Amino acid sequence: MVPMALAISAIIFFASRLSPIDPLYSLISPDAASDPTNLAILRERLGFNDPIFVQYFNWLFEIFKGNFGYSIQSGQPISEILALRMPATLELVLAALIISTTLSLLIGLVAGANRGGLTDKLSRVLAAIGISVPDFFIGLALLNVMAYRASLFPTGQRISPGQVTFMERLPHLVLPVATLSIAMLAVLIRYTRNSVLDTINRDFVKTARSKGLPEWKVMWSHVFRNSLGPVMVLIAFRLPLLVGGAVLVEAVFQWPGIGKTIVEAVTVSDYPVIMVVSLLIAVAILFASFLVDIAKSILDPRVRLGATIE
Amino acid sequence: MTEKVPSTARLLVRNFAGNLTGMFGLLVIFLIITSAIFAEEISGYNPNLMDGMSTSLSPSTDHLMGTDQLGRDVFSRVLYGGRNSILIGITASFLGNLIGTVLGAIAGYLGGRIDTVLIRVSELFMTFPQLVLVLIFVTIMGQGVSNVIIIFAITGWMTTLRLVRSEFLSLREEAFVEADRAFGFSKKRIIFRHLLPNTMSPIVVAFTINIAIYIIAEAGLSFLGLGVPVTTPTWGNLLSAAQAPVVVEQYWWLWVFPAVAIIAFVTGVNFVGDGLRDVLDPRQRTNAKNKTFLATLREKLFGSRKQTIE
Repeated sequence: MVPMALAISAIIFFASRLSPIDPLYSLISPDAASDPTNLAILRERLGFNDPIFVQYFNWLFEIFKGNFGYSIQSGQPISEILALRMPATLELVLAALIISTTLSLLIGLVAGANRGGLTDKLSRVLAAIGISVPDFFIGLALLNVMAYRASLFPTGQRISPGQVTFMERLPHLVLPVATLSIAMLAVLIRYTRNSVLDTINRDFVKTARSKGLPEWKVMWSHVFRNSLGPVMVLIAFRLPLLVGGAVLVEAVFQWPGIGKTIVEAVTVSDYPVIMVVSLLIAVAILFASFLVDIAKSILDPRVRLGATIE
Repeated sequence: MTEKVPSTARLLVRNFAGNLTGMFGLLVIFLIITSAIFAEEISGYNPNLMDGMSTSLSPSTDHLMGTDQLGRDVFSRVLYGGRNSILIGITASFLGNLIGTVLGAIAGYLGGRIDTVLIRVSELFMTFPQLVLVLIFVTIMGQGVSNVIIIFAITGWMTTLRLVRSEFLSLREEAFVEADRAFGFSKKRIIFRHLLPNTMSPIVVAFTINIAIYIIAEAGLSFLGLGVPVTTPTWGNLLSAAQAPVVVEQYWWLWVFPAVAIIAFVTGVNFVGDGLRDVLDPRQRTNAKNKTFLATLREKLFGSRKQTIE
């Protein structure tokens, strides 16, 4: 995990140096950059005349100290931008993750348990949609129907003027969360269903049934628990969305989250912001895969056993 | 080479013709590509002709899909956009697969340190959510049709690499490879003339399904305004009209029709991809007995999708 994170940070750093923009601007505030003699002094003092490897380690060191640098576009410290945008993304992605995970586990379990039944058929239709319909189109359609035509929900943004409490701005959250949930549902339902189907045919399920256990108990404590493993992996790899945001959904609903920050930064080539955000996402993903390993060992005692023997 | 190949090919064609969903997908693709090629003749309008007298018209017999705010015929723009979107999808998928195949062949056959390095690099690339990775490259390389193609290719070769590598790992132990080595054939010849033809099936399937993935990716990227410059119509660029709230609210035909085109084409491509998998690669066929055609197809499509997008 650590070597991987270092490798990624190196790639991000050197890739940014391929860009035509002077990286000096990413470390100083724009006020200090207006005077050319000042600039030359700063260039020397900030180490831009050092060998590039020294520069890389300095950059990394600053990041560890919590100094993420400044946005070229706005001159704001990047940490401030993140602090401003992160809550919006957390709120959106967390809600969507919870909703889509709960729903798809339930639907997937029912669909898998009653193969060929109504739920199963519905889940197939959903999966088909999830594969060929672009996520943001779902958002646009919801916007058009639910927000503009039916006027049930606001048409975007996270908050309207005058709203203060969470409950007041809750309606803003509904459509983006719905879009993201639908987009995430399809794959997860399919996955859960297949995992349940795999488990249901295993010998220990037959044993449980032949012991005379009630069907719900067989399903719950034998089938469901054992089919969670692969599903957990998929869910864990969605956790980095909490940091990276849902780029397209945030764009559709003008949601001021990290995803929108990335797009804005790319639009104006704001390298420092892109570097920091992509580094954060990478670290989040590495952390998620670390979590996967832990979750696996909890769900499957054999993994844990194997680990202790080694 | 002389006798066997044509007969195998004929056999494959016959098998594919018996695959209902695959043939349906092929028909859809054929219809869309043909109408994109004959865009002028079919729509009867120049896609860039602005008609100040007929702006923002809703669909009618004159303009099947209405007109945009500049009075351009949407139907003709969807057809022309198809040219570029499909071109991007096919070229990018081809290039990405080419990279993945060559690297996968090298990694799988040579093994050792090269293999380790290539696998690590592919993991590095797979760590990032594809859209974020693409956005990072867009910052470095800038926008444009060829840049989008190149970016898609260098961000989408990893699954093919893994696919080809694992095929090679098992193939290189086969007796005919041993015979090749005993004959003193060069590594290059063994890899590209003897082993590669045996791994063509999964590569062809991956190629097909990646086309669908890239077309959706182009749509997302251009929707954000970061893909192909707006002067070139693509399905994604047409959809980006929906960035304006007024378009989402009132001019639904501006974004619904391009989206329908995407959905139709992508569904078609996915059907063909899976038909091909059934015909070319019987080993990957799941127990199709109890399921409908569509269900089986989607199940497999889903499997290949989750690796690349997310």
